[in-house]
Amino acid sequence: MPYKKRLHAFAPLLLLSCFLIPVSGFAQQQESANCLACHSSMKGRIKTTGGAVIELQVNAERFAGSVHAALACTDCHMKYADNPHTSPSGAVPQPVLAIASKISAKHPVDPVAAAACAKCHPDIYAKVLDSVHGRNITDRRQTDGALCIDCHGSAHYIVPVKNPQAKMSRKHQVETCGACHGDKKIIEKYKLEENVMDSFQESFHGRKLHLGHTRAPVCASCHGAHDIKTKNDPTSPVFGNNRLQTCGKCHKGANEKFIPAITHKRPGPIPHYTEKGLMLLVIGVFAFIISHVLLEAFSDIRDAIFKKGREE
Amino acid sequence: MSQSTTQTAQGIPQEIERFNITFRIQHILMFTTFLLLSFTGWGLKYAHEPQGVASWWIRVWGGAETAGLIHRVAGLTMLADFIWHVIYLAYLFATKQMTINLKTTVIPLPKDIFDIIKNYLYFLGLSKEKAMYGKYSYAQKFDYWAVFWGMFIIGFSGFALAFPMLITPIVPKFVSGWIWEVLSIMHSDEALLAIVFILFWHFYNEHLKPENFPMSWLWITGRMSIDTLKHHHPIEYEMLFPEEAKTEKKH
Repeated sequence: MPYKKRLHAFAPLLLLSCFLIPVSGFAQQQESANCLACHSSMKGRIKTTGGAVIELQVNAERFAGSVHAALACTDCHMKYADNPHTSPSGAVPQPVLAIASKISAKHPVDPVAAAACAKCHPDIYAKVLDSVHGRNITDRRQTDGALCIDCHGSAHYIVPVKNPQAKMSRKHQVETCGACHGDKKIIEKYKLEENVMDSFQESFHGRKLHLGHTRAPVCASCHGAHDIKTKNDPTSPVFGNNRLQTCGKCHKGANEKFIPAITHKRPGPIPHYTEKGLMLLVIGVFAFIISHVLLEAFSDIRDAIFKKGREE
Repeated sequence: MSQSTTQTAQGIPQEIERFNITFRIQHILMFTTFLLLSFTGWGLKYAHEPQGVASWWIRVWGGAETAGLIHRVAGLTMLADFIWHVIYLAYLFATKQMTINLKTTVIPLPKDIFDIIKNYLYFLGLSKEKAMYGKYSYAQKFDYWAVFWGMFIIGFSGFALAFPMLITPIVPKFVSGWIWEVLSIMHSDEALLAIVFILFWHFYNEHLKPENFPMSWLWITGRMSIDTLKHHHPIEYEMLFPEEAKTEKKH
């Protein structure tokens, strides 16, 4: 088992830091408190022999405030049932193991923990694995694609989506998606639509969301969430006439002439030159009125001082 | 426009009615809705910059939903006001209460171009004479027609953006790919033009100018004193009171 090897490489480090804190025995079933005894005070990151970087610290306070606070560490980190964890040997249910093997490229250190979400959220996880995000990881074995924690943040600190602190809340969702969809490298690598973030910000949707409109859409409102598809997938909510329904969720009676209104593409030549023409007009009018007003005011002052050109 | 005048003992009125009550109400509706539209629209146009200012400003107007409602109601009111004005003009023409006279018309004429050149020369000290106006100076004509331009460009696009489903039946299929973008550009850019225009042109000419400060009260009274008329609209004065104008010239 490759994990075993890698873990053997850094386990002594963990062990060393654990010596500083008194730990209770080697019970089979560990309570969260036992793990946190070390992990809440450990600082920094560690590089495994496989090259993956893992964060050692778990913020006990934030964990207690998360929706997962009631879970034991080993509910997800199933393989590390022994304390301190010398060999990943815990029993793992078959469905989780199946997912873990699919996502091991993305989560090399503890794929089981990353797959463990499926224990409680099996339907959602199945959707994700079938989505464009999921397939990117399972089929194409990419490591920079999105899986659960990339969008929702660490499972240790996850808060309800209604909480504005949540990474997927209305407040933060756009910037969370933008972490990848506004990233030039990722856009180039995956040939993504390149103007997504700016076009949203400029759109009425983006402006209203920014101003606190409670019904303004966020990314998932139109694109879907866990079962997200590429825009070229005929089952995507933003593909072709599927938009009739998608837009129609808010815009009653949305029809074929209305749905092209919102796009992430850059404006075509007609809007572009309309804008240029209008700006020319605006500048021309400004030049006239500002010069007229200023010159008139100066000439009034001049006349007031020199009494020149005044009617008696 | 009907010129009801109050005759004095000398046979010449002290003031004349320039705008009747209908025009005055139309103007009041126009500027109140204009201000509401500018205040709420500005927050949306500059939603992102500077950071946080627009969000605060929109909260002043009751939040994004309320500001949007104010904007729509004010916009519809303004459109209705404009349509009322046009219908009223048609009625005045139909009943011959208003006729086109080159000295009183608000229609732009070649004279206005010459007036502009004359005034620029005067401003620059190259001429000793300012332009003389009929009932409406070129500045006032510009003010008036700017509203027409605004209503066609901003009013129509605003209506289309607020009620897209109502206008899709008249939108040809081949323009639907870019028309919405064009409409929002039209609405936003021309609104900026309208606001700056009013801020500089109208505010300077009708409020800040020393002779008008703080404002010309004409918008409430509808009346202009004969002195002001003589001073600012000599051609109209001559036309209305040819005898007096003649005798005054002889003095």
